[in-house]
Amino acid sequence: MAKKLVRSVFDFEEGFIETIAEVPEKEPEAWAPERSMRVASKGHPRVDGYARTSGDARYALDIQLPRMAYGRVLRSWIPHGRIRKIDTSEAEKVPGVLGIMTYVNAPKIRWYRDSTLFDPHVRYEGDEVAFVVAETEEALEQALSKIHVEYEELPFVLDAEEAMKPTAPKLFKNGNVRDGKPRIYERGDIQKGFAEADAVVEDTFRTQVVHHAPLEPHVCVVNWEGDRLTIWESTQATFRVQQGIASILKVPLNKVRVINAFMGAGFGSKLGIEKHTVMAALMARQIGRPVKVVTPRKDEFLSMGNRPASVQKLKVGAKKDGTLTAISLWSVGPGGAYRSGSAYLGTPAREMYKCANVRTEEYTVYVNTGPARAMRAPGHVQAFFALDSILDELAEKIGMDPLDFRMANIAEIDQVRKRPYTSKRLKEAYEAGARAIGWYERRNKVPGSGKGPLKRGLGVASQIWGGGGGPPAFATVEINRDGTVVVHSGSQDIGTGTRTIVAQVAAEELGLDLDRVSVVIGDTALCPYGPTSGGSITAASLTPAVQAAAVEARERLKDYAAAVLGVEPERVSYEPGRYYLTEDPSKSVSFEEAARKMGNNMVVTTGARGPNPKGYTINSFGAQFAEVEVDVETGKVRVLKIVAAHDIGRAINPLTVRSQFEGGIIMGMGYALTEERWLDPQVGRQVNPNLHEYKVPTLADIPEIEVIIVSEADTKANTVGGKGIGEPCIIPTAAAIANAVYNAIGVRVKELPITPDRVLRALGKA
Amino acid sequence: MVSFEHANAGSIKEAVRLLGQQDRTPVAIAGGQDLMTMLKDELVRPGLVVNLKTVPGLTEITYDERKGLSIGALATLTDVEEHPVVRAKYPALAQAAAAVGTPQIRNMGTVGGNLCQRPQCWYFRGDFPCLRRGGDYCSAAVGQNKYHCILGGDPCYIVHPSDLAVPLRAYGASVEIVGPKGKRTVSLDDFFLLPSQDVRRENVLEPGEVVTWVRVPPSDGAKAAFVKFTERGAWDFAVVSVAAVLRKEAGNGKVAGGRIVLGGVAPVPWLAGKANAALTGVEPTDEVLERVADLALEGASPLEHNAYKVPLAKTLVKRALQQALAS
Repeated sequence: MAKKLVRSVFDFEEGFIETIAEVPEKEPEAWAPERSMRVASKGHPRVDGYARTSGDARYALDIQLPRMAYGRVLRSWIPHGRIRKIDTSEAEKVPGVLGIMTYVNAPKIRWYRDSTLFDPHVRYEGDEVAFVVAETEEALEQALSKIHVEYEELPFVLDAEEAMKPTAPKLFKNGNVRDGKPRIYERGDIQKGFAEADAVVEDTFRTQVVHHAPLEPHVCVVNWEGDRLTIWESTQATFRVQQGIASILKVPLNKVRVINAFMGAGFGSKLGIEKHTVMAALMARQIGRPVKVVTPRKDEFLSMGNRPASVQKLKVGAKKDGTLTAISLWSVGPGGAYRSGSAYLGTPAREMYKCANVRTEEYTVYVNTGPARAMRAPGHVQAFFALDSILDELAEKIGMDPLDFRMANIAEIDQVRKRPYTSKRLKEAYEAGARAIGWYERRNKVPGSGKGPLKRGLGVASQIWGGGGGPPAFATVEINRDGTVVVHSGSQDIGTGTRTIVAQVAAEELGLDLDRVSVVIGDTALCPYGPTSGGSITAASLTPAVQAAAVEARERLKDYAAAVLGVEPERVSYEPGRYYLTEDPSKSVSFEEAARKMGNNMVVTTGARGPNPKGYTINSFGAQFAEVEVDVETGKVRVLKIVAAHDIGRAINPLTVRSQFEGGIIMGMGYALTEERWLDPQVGRQVNPNLHEYKVPTLADIPEIEVIIVSEADTKANTVGGKGIGEPCIIPTAAAIANAVYNAIGVRVKELPITPDRVLRALGKA
Repeated sequence: MVSFEHANAGSIKEAVRLLGQQDRTPVAIAGGQDLMTMLKDELVRPGLVVNLKTVPGLTEITYDERKGLSIGALATLTDVEEHPVVRAKYPALAQAAAAVGTPQIRNMGTVGGNLCQRPQCWYFRGDFPCLRRGGDYCSAAVGQNKYHCILGGDPCYIVHPSDLAVPLRAYGASVEIVGPKGKRTVSLDDFFLLPSQDVRRENVLEPGEVVTWVRVPPSDGAKAAFVKFTERGAWDFAVVSVAAVLRKEAGNGKVAGGRIVLGGVAPVPWLAGKANAALTGVEPTDEVLERVADLALEGASPLEHNAYKVPLAKTLVKRALQQALAS
């Protein structure tokens, strides 16, 4: 297929990435909304569902190699200090210990821009201090407990607002504010906007630190065979790991293979190159044995990322008729001890609602806690809790229904980039969700007016997110001589169902049933480049490439069909499952017959993702509606129902879409109601780094969930027409619950999570 | 987890003998639901783990009109939850058993283990300064203490974690203990220890002693209920729990007497003495229940982050009483 290079820009986790991309000269025909679909757009169970549930699927955690040794990181148990001395002599004597690495003997490898692989200046509880490799996990644990570290303890700071003060302990010599200044955005005239308003509301909201808590921890297995390195890694970024490790270890890319066939979730915590993978690779090379690293659950909490807390000071103004005249946001959040994920969260304030006058000022600061990492819709989940809370306050002040207020302020265009959206069905989402929850009939006209101690209420919140994806993304399609097909792509299935939709898209274009297509995914040695799974970009980036490869493969097989028919290929046409003589459709050959004709020839094609449309913004939109019941005598909030109505373009697999929504909403519920990192203020260490005291929702907490997709294929966005949904599904949940709590009890809880103690305090009972 | 020896005890006598070998730093394991986490976190570093599950005859639950209910210490929480006599005559106990952890935990966890489990305080479980672990001070006193006690706390602020202990104490149960010095029976009123009595132990068990049986007095038709308040739907220890056992006067609707015990508020299952006294010979009006609830929490002195437990516990006392009366 002829290809060309273009400059490509795509939306990735709160930012835009600009890159050179190879795209097809001519894209496949887009799947128009009205196209009749056979396999895609149908709700298929996951093609790897059986393997995943039966134990057949081999995760990095399952990899066992001959002579494999075990590695683990020893982490700092103080929040801030300098290592005076590390004594590893006792640990070295433990039988079975194969090697110990510390800042003393490790190569100086740059990390986080301002630090190194092992930094004698430790900046949080969980910072890497040593790496031990041993024959067995038992020997490993013993050795770890026998390393004696002497610290010069330094004053620490845990809270973002505290860290901004000039007197706060500094983590880096340039101060605690990242880049030394806030990110500021302005449009219109904010003062004029407030002057025009009939009502102005000002309020402060706070959110907590939460963790990704993936079921499968961070895992790697590294194995050198001569100068070739193979890494099994649980990652959202198979190619990024390959590129990162190759460049850090100075190994050519053709000698580094990363395998990631199955993984048990990441939620943003597995987007990068892990220190422990580099340590394991260095040590494995030194001892001549494979090394496996499984991150303990406690370390997952301390060191593998979090959604940063936030303080958000919002001021909004509107006219009596519902016109939003001004939005002002000041925010700060802790990025943790290093430059990793950020606490910036201004996008929703700038982009969600139509408003001519907007100012956002956002800070990310360094504090002595685990570094933040992107977490499922970074920034947006925090932001919408505050933004949609204050919007409800403003609606009440001007005497308008909160849903009507939102509908009156739908932004027709991308107000920041001043250009249209490829598609936007937000109004339809509001309307469909309102119908499903019974918004106008069942919502309390007077908040808190329900009788008795159990009070019910309804709330709504909105969502905007990128997820349009873009090039580069590649896939190959191979047709075997028995008519079966293999699709290869180096992207990965992080639990979202990528493998299934790739098979569906290929099967759709090839006119085959789903069981005829197998998918090889997450292997840099076998597959062409596929995108990192973050920013909800995988589906929209990858599936058009699969489609392009499949269309070309189908065309190539036509030559063999023509040979069977004994005519020139130009006289042959295709319909699902068969090739036929254009002038006499009764003369045909099946896909399998044509494939058999190949003999030992093989059809192998590579498809590339087409460019994003110029002059458009691709966003997904949606709204969620929550119904809650609050016990005003105990403070307990029970979510009864969530209706999620979203514009996601084409749902390539409505069943896995539904699964994604369920997962996102449950995670959003945990954020709203129960999950919270607790640090001890005296010693600066986490008191609940475990899955018992860090309370993710259980099955017993899950409400009725209704998912409504209001969109059809967005063929302006890409030829398949899908937009990503992995993150949109969590964005409005907590905000909708918070607004429903207000509607139920008539008192607003301005801090997450909305736990019983906070509800009782808000009610003045505690 | 440290390496240790493991021994299956063939009898209680053998278990007691093994557990008495103090030089081997022995610990007992039954269902292992608490001990396994303690081992993994190295909160205990035993030289010897003595398996009690191999001791025959301690899984039974029997009822005798004269002697009452006997529950073997090795009966599982599921056994208790599902036992027809327990459900019929001691509903608060069945409800408490059903409220523990998760089905998996209830299938493995035993009655003896549930009563003798160690506290869940995150400072005790984590590697923090902790009086109970021999440290110099209680980190919870000024640290993160939203789940800590509001009654009976000084100088350590744990709450007792057992769900079963709450209704068992309300029903007036006692435990049979076997140890190196023989057998003794201790009322649950005397079994648990406040930090002021001993900051290192939660109960009176001496080294080498094990709980073998729980004895509950015969049912006299008392009305009872157990309510447990948690932040999430399963796998959560009580923020506050209440068991109420009430006897009604014949014919007049009055309460003859009752025992209210609270969980999640104190280092022991907390007997609400004054409240119980106020329950004698009264008409259970809303006003009376309100007063009883106030009395139950009299003397509560919350820490920085757990004042909400006071109104919460009052609500639960009222609800447990209402539920018991309606049963």
